[in-house]
Amino acid sequence: MTGRATPADAEELAGLLAACDRERRAVAVEGGGTLAGMGAAVESAITIVTSKLNAMIAHERADLTASAQAGMTLHAFGKALAKAGQFVPLDAPVRKHATIGGTLAAGWGGPRRHLYGRPRDFVIGSGVALADGTIAKAGGMVVKNVTGYDMSKLYIGSFGTLGVLVSANFKTLPSPKAARAFHHPLPLGSRSRAIAQLQTMVATPAAAFWIEGFAKEIAGADADDGRLFVLMEGSEAFLDRATRDLRSALGRAGVPETHVVDAGAREAFERTCDAYVAVVADRSATFRSLGDPTDVEERALTMRAVAHRFELRADLLVDVMNGDAVLRVSDADANAFAAKIRIFDGALHDDIPVAQLLASGSAARPYLNAWGTPPPAIAAMRALKERFDPNGILNPGRFVGGI
Amino acid sequence: MFAERLADAIGADAVKTAPEDLAVYAFDAYSESAVPRAVALPASARDVAAIVRIARECGEPIVARGAGTGLCGGAIPARGGVVVSFARMNRMLELDVRNRRARVQPGLINLDLSKNVATAGLFYAPDPSSQKACTIGGNIGTNAGGPHCLTYGTTVNHVLGLEVVDERGEVYTTSLGDSGYDLTGALVGSEGTLGIVTSAWVRLLRVPEATRVWVATFADVEAASEAVSAIVGHGIVPTALEMMDGLMIRTVEAAFHSGFPTDAEALLLIENAGYEDDMDACEHAIEKICKETGALTWRAAKSQAERDGLWAARKGAFGAAGRIAPNTYLQDVVVPRTKLPQMLRLVDDAAAKHELTIGNVFHAGDGNLHPLIMYDKRDKRQVASVVEVGDEILSAAVDLGGTISGEHGIGYEKRDTLARVYDDADLDTMLRLRDVFDASRHFNPDKIFPRGASCVEVRA
Repeated sequence: MTGRATPADAEELAGLLAACDRERRAVAVEGGGTLAGMGAAVESAITIVTSKLNAMIAHERADLTASAQAGMTLHAFGKALAKAGQFVPLDAPVRKHATIGGTLAAGWGGPRRHLYGRPRDFVIGSGVALADGTIAKAGGMVVKNVTGYDMSKLYIGSFGTLGVLVSANFKTLPSPKAARAFHHPLPLGSRSRAIAQLQTMVATPAAAFWIEGFAKEIAGADADDGRLFVLMEGSEAFLDRATRDLRSALGRAGVPETHVVDAGAREAFERTCDAYVAVVADRSATFRSLGDPTDVEERALTMRAVAHRFELRADLLVDVMNGDAVLRVSDADANAFAAKIRIFDGALHDDIPVAQLLASGSAARPYLNAWGTPPPAIAAMRALKERFDPNGILNPGRFVGGI
Repeated sequence: MFAERLADAIGADAVKTAPEDLAVYAFDAYSESAVPRAVALPASARDVAAIVRIARECGEPIVARGAGTGLCGGAIPARGGVVVSFARMNRMLELDVRNRRARVQPGLINLDLSKNVATAGLFYAPDPSSQKACTIGGNIGTNAGGPHCLTYGTTVNHVLGLEVVDERGEVYTTSLGDSGYDLTGALVGSEGTLGIVTSAWVRLLRVPEATRVWVATFADVEAASEAVSAIVGHGIVPTALEMMDGLMIRTVEAAFHSGFPTDAEALLLIENAGYEDDMDACEHAIEKICKETGALTWRAAKSQAERDGLWAARKGAFGAAGRIAPNTYLQDVVVPRTKLPQMLRLVDDAAAKHELTIGNVFHAGDGNLHPLIMYDKRDKRQVASVVEVGDEILSAAVDLGGTISGEHGIGYEKRDTLARVYDDADLDTMLRLRDVFDASRHFNPDKIFPRGASCVEVRA
């Protein structure tokens, strides 16, 4: 058994796992491959792709619940929910290809999570295929449930190292009635005050970024200058008020202009989400630091300074509402990039202990520290891995601490 | 010997062994009881670690306890051992207003947390009806809910990280900000079976700029259920959507004089919080839906005092039931929201069949029912019927695609019913998790899992 397998259903997928488990063969698991650059590379003979598990299992519109197979794309899932005026805030990059299973396995918390919650907060149940081929369910199709351990929490964010998600049940939300997006050129001296205003204004932005670079990926402002991108969601009445509040809050911070994005607020937002994993050919690497919103500017500046120290080009994407700082380093010269990236990686992790690798050119990846300092509870995590996947066949080495 | 060692480690005044003291810790709000060998009152994580080490060495079970308000026997020391009470670890340790987060000790009373942070314009969202007494640690144990879960979610959605003592008596921390498995999510709701939480980082929310509360009454629970479905189906998820049946309306009215019409057979208490800009439109939409589905009366609370009064009546409903029955048994089940009318009919039928009175006050928006079975424990026939009715309600909920607990937990009471919801493979995954954190089953034994579940487990 080698190559890529695309099982037709959960049972076939579980059967493949059982066979690999018996033969002690390593298995890589893939959804849409959009976050394939996260974590360490997996060496495996076989890759199980969930793309054929792409059906909506149920959408109970009046109950505000939905269940889908793991290989369904975020785009398709979102479109089906939108027909009923509902959504689940799964803001992963490249929605057209990203899958529900992959997004959950990566524990991807998007830029709107401060407002709506994390993906884990919307999962009310799941189906998982374990390494030994058992299919188990967790949770159910009700929005409140404390019946035994909430096993879904463990699978979400586990990078497929404990089991392979085959389905997930969600509670859905009514879609916001409308959205409006804003670009603001950001004068250097206004940055700290502007970020503080965004974080504290009563009319809470659905998403707010400080961006430098990413000019090709995120349209709206000139090249390398610092700028803000703000998304507001809600009723038209709220958006009118939010627009006024935003202008006055940023005006107080010394940000002079506000440009309402003309061509589609959501599209502009999705392009911003896509930038998290956008690579520059084979000469870039993207890292993310998670932390408090209050020190996100400082962390971002630290990251940028490390890049500049090695004369690497730095593109910054900073989610000021949640405290995520994303830095992409690149070099116009592939050889120069290859020469610098490894020592840059070491220096970055000296200053930012928990910097996660989001995407990279494939040549550099094996040399990069994909997770930073292991978490305090790493011993318990290793024990969990051992108990769920004793032969270590599931995505071996991909996750934190070599799990 | 056991108690002496505990006293040596954490101080004699922090260990209780007198029979009259132990008797107090034999109960929670469930009907059964078991007496512990000792009660320990730690003052720090270090004390808790020492307790766990000594208990392990002496082969004694360890049961963590908040305020003992749990309804499923989760805090009963089923096999004796030591009850760890967090009465002396009841403070807020840190408040970070800018990042809207607090670090609290497990013994902190739920309502006190919101009171502590109110001056900063913040609040802690999960608000069980027992919030004046129950603790954050207990809430974490059961993943407690409350009326405002509808928008805000349950405890697990508000815990950012934990400090935990593991089975070896070592202290570790978990955080949503760490890389790695979501141990925080796995520990919340594990009812003290995976470790002992010694502090928690919790998320605080900003107090919304506008809050409105409305009361609509109906001729029957079917009409009120229809209104619930229509509101949610209309794309409105209010912050709370609570229902009371006729019996409970009259009971609550007699106790609280809230001005509820006593001839109505169903009442919805609806709250929405958010931006002032949206409130009028929201109010008009909900009022229109209620009137279209047959509301007999409609009332909008005009002041903070009136809102508080309505909520006090709602949260005091189960206490008020003491006026009409010597004993009550509160059940907790969830069904998909649209199955509410069916479920309520099944509850009614079960009550009629067993000649018992059942009142209903519940979180309609979540599909989370709380049938309150009234009885007299001196009447043996009634006691037997209560057990049967409770069981029939659990089965009915499962048959309708629901589950056997929405917010109270499984504890001692429902452990043998867990297998109605999950098959062996599902339960086995949970036991794998248990194996990693509590291989020797010292943490809160005889809880959650069906009798025998841990014995039949076959290890590879």
